[in-house]
Amino acid sequence: MECRVLSIQSHVVRGYVGNKSASFPLQVLGFEVDSINSVQFSNHTGYSHWKGQVLTADELHVLYEGIKLNNVHQYDYVLTGYTRDTSFLEMVVDIVQELKRANPNLVYVCDPVLGDHGSMYVPQNLYPVYKNKVVPVADIITPNQFEAELLTGKNISTEKDAVEVMDLLHAMGPDTVVITSSDLPSRLGDRFLVSLGSQRQVRPDGSRATQRVRIEVPKVDAVFVGTGDLFAAMLLAWTHHYPNDLKMACEKTFSVMHHVIQRTISYAHELAGPGRRPSPPQLELRMVQSKADIEDPAIVTEATVIS
Amino acid sequence: PEEKCRVLSIQSHVVRGYVGNKSATFPLQVLGFEVDSINSVQFSNHTGYAHWKGQVLTADELNVLYEGIKLNKVNHYDYILTGYSRDTSFLETVVDIIQELKKANPSLVYVCDPVMGDHGAMYVPENLLPVYRDKVVPLADILTPNQFEAELLTGRKVNTQEDAFEVMDLLHKMGPETVVLTSSDLPSKKGDQFLVALGSQKIVKPDGSKTSQKICMDIPKVDAVFVGTGDLFAAMLLAWTHHHPKDLKAACEKTVSVMHHVIKRTITYANEMAGPGKRPSPAQLELRMVQSKADIENPAIVVEAKVLHKSSQ
Repeated sequence: MECRVLSIQSHVVRGYVGNKSASFPLQVLGFEVDSINSVQFSNHTGYSHWKGQVLTADELHVLYEGIKLNNVHQYDYVLTGYTRDTSFLEMVVDIVQELKRANPNLVYVCDPVLGDHGSMYVPQNLYPVYKNKVVPVADIITPNQFEAELLTGKNISTEKDAVEVMDLLHAMGPDTVVITSSDLPSRLGDRFLVSLGSQRQVRPDGSRATQRVRIEVPKVDAVFVGTGDLFAAMLLAWTHHYPNDLKMACEKTFSVMHHVIQRTISYAHELAGPGRRPSPPQLELRMVQSKADIEDPAIVTEATVIS
Repeated sequence: PEEKCRVLSIQSHVVRGYVGNKSATFPLQVLGFEVDSINSVQFSNHTGYAHWKGQVLTADELNVLYEGIKLNKVNHYDYILTGYSRDTSFLETVVDIIQELKKANPSLVYVCDPVMGDHGAMYVPENLLPVYRDKVVPLADILTPNQFEAELLTGRKVNTQEDAFEVMDLLHKMGPETVVLTSSDLPSKKGDQFLVALGSQKIVKPDGSKTSQKICMDIPKVDAVFVGTGDLFAAMLLAWTHHHPKDLKAACEKTVSVMHHVIKRTITYANEMAGPGKRPSPAQLELRMVQSKADIENPAIVVEAKVLHKSSQ
C-alpha cells in the first residue's frame, strides 16, 4: 500500500494528542505520515501546567514551500484537527486547495474542532472560517453534535434531525460525515451514546445513494484527551480500506477506540489506586500498548444501517 | 516492555522523511517504548535534498518545554536519546537537562550519538567538539561514534584493531560503559564489500572485578548515501541493549540486522522508483520505515558479531 498522509496538528512532548495521537496508529497501518506540527507543547492543556511554542501561519507556509520546492507535494490524504488561529486555518485551506490541484483524488479528512456540550472552546472567529472555507473543501468530517449543529444552524433532537443535519453538511462539501457523539437516547440504555454516519456514494450505474449508519457506543466515566484525534486518523485508515462501506469503516474505527480506551482506563485506575480519580498523566492513551488492536481491531461495536 | 521504558528523545523533526525523531520514534514505539520527543528543529525534509526550509528551537525554548514537563512532575525517564545538534548552547542545555533527569532517576541510561562528522571532516561547527568531549560524553552511558568521531573525542588515530580497542577504552574512561564504533576504515576479513564495526562494553563480574566484552562485526557495504540510518541505529541499540543489557554481542546483532533489513528494502524500492541505470534521489532514498515494521519487531539475524576478547582492567 503506497499511501501518503499530510497531517497538520499539534505536537506534545509527552502524551497522545494531535499528531502524537494520529501518527503512530496510521504508521502501524502502513500509511506514510508526513507531519507538520502546528505547535510544540510539553503536554496537552488538561494538565495543571503546559508550556511551549506555536507555529505561525507564515512558518507553516515556509514548511510547505520546502516540500513544494522539492516537488514532493503529492499526498493522498490531508488530516487536520484542533486549531486556535484563523490565519493558520486559512493557510491550511490554501495548502489543501493547492494539494487538491496537484492530486484531484486527494481526500481531506477534517475534524472541525469548535467545542462540545453546548459551548465553544476555540475563538469564535474560527466558526465562519470552518463554515465558509474549511468544510467546503473537506471530504470527510467528524463533528460532534454541537459542532454539527453550529455548522448547519440546526438543532438535533431526534435521529431524523441528525439525518437532516448530515444532509446539510453533505451539501456544504463532504461526502462522508460522522457525528462522533450525540445526546440522542440509545436503544441500549443510558450507558451508551449514539453516533451517526452518512456517506454519499455513486453506484456503478451512475446513480447516487446515501448510506446512513447508527452506532451505539459504550460511555466511559472519564475525560480523555486525544481520542477525537485518534478517531479521525482511524476513520481515515478504515474508509481507505472500505471506501464504499461506511458501516464497516465505522465498526472498525469505533472498535479500535473501544480497545484503546478500555486499556487506558484499566491502567489509569491501576495507577491511581482504589477510589481515586486518575490524573491527566495517568489517563494518557495507552497507544503503543494497543498496537495489535490498532492493526486488527476485533469488532465490538455494531453499526446499524438506517434509512 | 512495560516497566522502565520511557524514553526522552531530543532530535530533529522533518515533515517528510526519516531522520532524527522521525527515524527514532516509530521503531521504538513499535517495540513498546513510550517515546516523549522534543523536536530540536522542524524542517520540511533533511538537508540532503535540493531544498529545505524550516525553524529551529532555541536553547531557551528547549528549557521552556522541559519546564512544562517538570512542573507536572512527569520528568521521570528511563532513557534519553540525542543525536545531531548544531548549536553549542542548545547542547549545553541538553546537558543540564540530562544531569537533572539523572538526579531524578539515577538508573537513567543516556544514549548519545556524538554527531560531528565523517570521512575525515567535521560537518558541525568546530566549537561543538569541546562540549561533546568535556560535557556530553562524560554523561553518556551508551555512545555510538563513527571512527572519525571516536578519533576526534580521544585525540587518537585508529589504524589497526588494537588502536580501536585503545580508543574504545579511552572512551570508557571518559564516561560511557558501552561504546559502539558504528563504522571504520579497518579492513574486513570478508573483503572490501564489507566494513568493520566494533563494540565494547564494560561489565562488572559477580566477584566484583571489572572486565570488558569486545566485539567485531563485518557489515555489508551499500552503494548509496542514506540519511537517518545513524539515528535509527542509536534508537535500535537503545532498544536491544535494553533487552540484552549484559550481552553486547546479542544487542549489536539485532541492531545491525534491523539496519540491514531496512536498508535493503529501501535500496530496492529506491532503485525501482529511479528506474534502470539512474541514481535514486534523496526523496526516493528515504528509509522504508513503516514498511519494515515486522523486521523492526523481530529482526532475523543476518550478521554475526564475534567476541574478540574479554580483558581485565
